[in-house]
Amino acid sequence: MAQRPDIKIECRNISKMFLTEQYTINVLDDVSLQVQKNEFVVVLGPGQCGKTTLLNCMAGIIMPDEGKVLMDGREVTGPGPDRGVVFQQYALFPWKTVMDNVSFGLYIKGVDKPKRNETAQKYIDLVGLQGFEKSYPHQLSGGMKQRVGLARAWANGPDVLLMDEPFGALDAQTRYAMEKETLSIWEKDKRTVVFVTNNVEEAIYLGDRVVVMSCMPGHVKSQYPIDIPKPREYTDPRFLEMRRKISNDTELSL
Amino acid sequence: MIASGFFKKGSKLFLPLLSVAVCLSIWEVLHLIIGGDFLPSPYQVFKEGLRMFSVKIGGNTVWVHIYYSLRRVVIAYLLGAVTGLPLGMYMGWNRTFDKVVKPVFEVLRPIPPIAWIPIAILWLGIGEGPKIFICYVGAFVIFVLNAYTGMRYTDPLLIAAARTYGASRRQQLFNVAIPASLPSVFAGVQNALSMSWMCVLAAELVGAREGVGYLIIQGMDMYKPPMIMVGMIIIGIIGASLAVTLRWFERLVCPWRRDLT
Repeated sequence: MAQRPDIKIECRNISKMFLTEQYTINVLDDVSLQVQKNEFVVVLGPGQCGKTTLLNCMAGIIMPDEGKVLMDGREVTGPGPDRGVVFQQYALFPWKTVMDNVSFGLYIKGVDKPKRNETAQKYIDLVGLQGFEKSYPHQLSGGMKQRVGLARAWANGPDVLLMDEPFGALDAQTRYAMEKETLSIWEKDKRTVVFVTNNVEEAIYLGDRVVVMSCMPGHVKSQYPIDIPKPREYTDPRFLEMRRKISNDTELSL
Repeated sequence: MIASGFFKKGSKLFLPLLSVAVCLSIWEVLHLIIGGDFLPSPYQVFKEGLRMFSVKIGGNTVWVHIYYSLRRVVIAYLLGAVTGLPLGMYMGWNRTFDKVVKPVFEVLRPIPPIAWIPIAILWLGIGEGPKIFICYVGAFVIFVLNAYTGMRYTDPLLIAAARTYGASRRQQLFNVAIPASLPSVFAGVQNALSMSWMCVLAAELVGAREGVGYLIIQGMDMYKPPMIMVGMIIIGIIGASLAVTLRWFERLVCPWRRDLT
């Protein structure tokens, strides 16, 4: 099967099971997903439906039992700097300042200090954290921490950004602000994004395409291209119509 | 209200002073009840302290005795850190190594450092060797345990995050696991010093010609309770000063920790 040139990252028939002492849990069952270059795809599903597992497979943090993840047509065998991850729990390094957190990826790559600080500064400015370069994560609010998370992932220059419910721990107000911010960063510095959420509004607000997942075992239920121009209004009739359609199709309970 | 305001404002200095005053009073009362010989009064102890600092005991001033004890502790402590921290960290980092070393360590661990005194004397004679060895055993075990715990409880998410940036196993160790384990290591650093300090006195009680432990034994041999108590107070003050110094050092090395007072 020839790889279409515009597909950036692809999951091909992925299955994953977790074994506990009593049960075998089928987390992902034959999930296939293609994401095009610079596309913003949102994976929407209820809690525990395997969307985080799917994302971790794409990141290479865990390996699928069956199927494979292809990045630019090559099979993913582990994590790599070509795929940046934004974690729900931020996963910032508490002993590093904002500047050192953001430049971490470049440090690992061996970029020298002036160069990596310059790049990091650009992204710190982009997420609106100028003035906090020397702060430690514990001195920041949740929203600010996740801005650091975004800047850290973006600054490393990955082709694909994988976001695992990045705003799930934030309050509603901050969440709206962060969604807006994410889009504006993405517009300025386009990357392929796979964004996982359990929030229908967030999915429609952000996504070029919404992939609805269903539970136990997790599989792709349906897909909705969202062709409302960005930035979108939550009260736009087309937005509401889309929201009704997708809501009817989703089991957002546990 | 006024009283509580005063209490709040003055409490920083007032409460500690009050606590000392109450302790001294209870001590004085007990002295009066029990009688002078067994339990000297605070004033007698204070006077004895002044005397001890102005004469030579066993050929050395009190300062030299303190120096001897501290030197033993510091040597043992540094040896313990240099050997214990890497061992504990590596046990926490490498599962295979852990499985090999852990059983041996688990058996050696519950043996109190003092139980090593006889064998230490047999092996190392009666000089500085056994005393340093005892302190070393005490510090070493605590260093290993805390480094190990710190390593094992490193948040796996942080390791995963480092991996997504392409960090090698070595980079994960030095850039994530070790800094993440530092708070736990520092808890150990303090405990190890206290332990070392306690061990040196135990070792000195058994046979030494110098050191704070020797002062106490001299007090006992000469039947001078005030002298014993001065020795004990010196131990307490030095132990507390060591802890304070280390806490200051921790704040210097781990500026990201917020729960430091």
